[in-house]
Amino acid sequence: MMPDETPQPTEPLIELTVNRVVEDPNTDTRILVLSRTDGTPEHFMIWVGAAEGESIRRALDTSVTPRPMSHDLVRSFGEHLGVITERVVITDVKSSTYFATVYLENKGVTRTVDARPSDAIGLALRCHAPIYVTPDVWKRRTGQNLDAWLNKLETKNIGAQEV
Amino acid sequence: MITQMQVKGLMFDPYNNAYIVILRDEDQADMLPIWVGKSEASSISLALESVDPPRPMTHDFMKAYLDAVNAKVISVVITDLSENTYFAKIHLTYEDSEYTVDSRPSDAIALALRSEAPIFANESVIRKQTSEELDQWLENLKPEDFGKLDS
Repeated sequence: MMPDETPQPTEPLIELTVNRVVEDPNTDTRILVLSRTDGTPEHFMIWVGAAEGESIRRALDTSVTPRPMSHDLVRSFGEHLGVITERVVITDVKSSTYFATVYLENKGVTRTVDARPSDAIGLALRCHAPIYVTPDVWKRRTGQNLDAWLNKLETKNIGAQEV
Repeated sequence: MITQMQVKGLMFDPYNNAYIVILRDEDQADMLPIWVGKSEASSISLALESVDPPRPMTHDFMKAYLDAVNAKVISVVITDLSENTYFAKIHLTYEDSEYTVDSRPSDAIALALRSEAPIFANESVIRKQTSEELDQWLENLKPEDFGKLDS
């Protein structure tokens, strides 16, 4: 999948966890808020589709859905075929679109699959696989100063639900 | 007994605010409508119209995942209907063995269209579905109702 892979950067990858999924009522999308596992108090936000966002939210809740969601189906393929989702890496950002790579391991062979971060993370959470971002993408992330805006949005959402 | 079905179209059901995938057998004798969510409908629509989206959608990713390990979708079967929920199975070959994986029909159909795999339905599912009321309702639908999703 990546024949001309450049040499690994000397800077290590940054591990992330999904902090929460926030509804953006203006655009019918979801905002994925990711935090660093090393405790650095800065966030990384990715806008994802409503369906993908809900799938990630369900994985966080570990609530069992009556029927498998699309990402549950991919996990199920892995379980049947003995393919392990080893890790996912957010590798690039171009014009505000993030790119991710899913690393699959099968009988000692690693293969990579190109994915949107929403699918990569939806699968990683279900397979307990770590989520990473390259230091370069971390530096170029959007939402560096959006924490205040996000808090306001969440307060508004709570208010809207009470009505 | 199973019958091979073709995806004839996709339509919006304004009463339930959902989408319906219409499956028909080759003789156009039996019809099987399956209600699906918005994102699944959009994914099936992209496959029907052979649109290559700039980034892989969830089912494109699913297909790429299977391709990466050389697993192949050989067929999908709509197997059962219980309390208005359909059930499907995806049949895969991988390293000379066959595997069967439970799935929602929407995922199975979206994946089958991308894998050029045949879609089948159990006869029992088709029988359960052909209530006269529903047939009549579907026959009354105009061709315009089977339009594109993004209208």
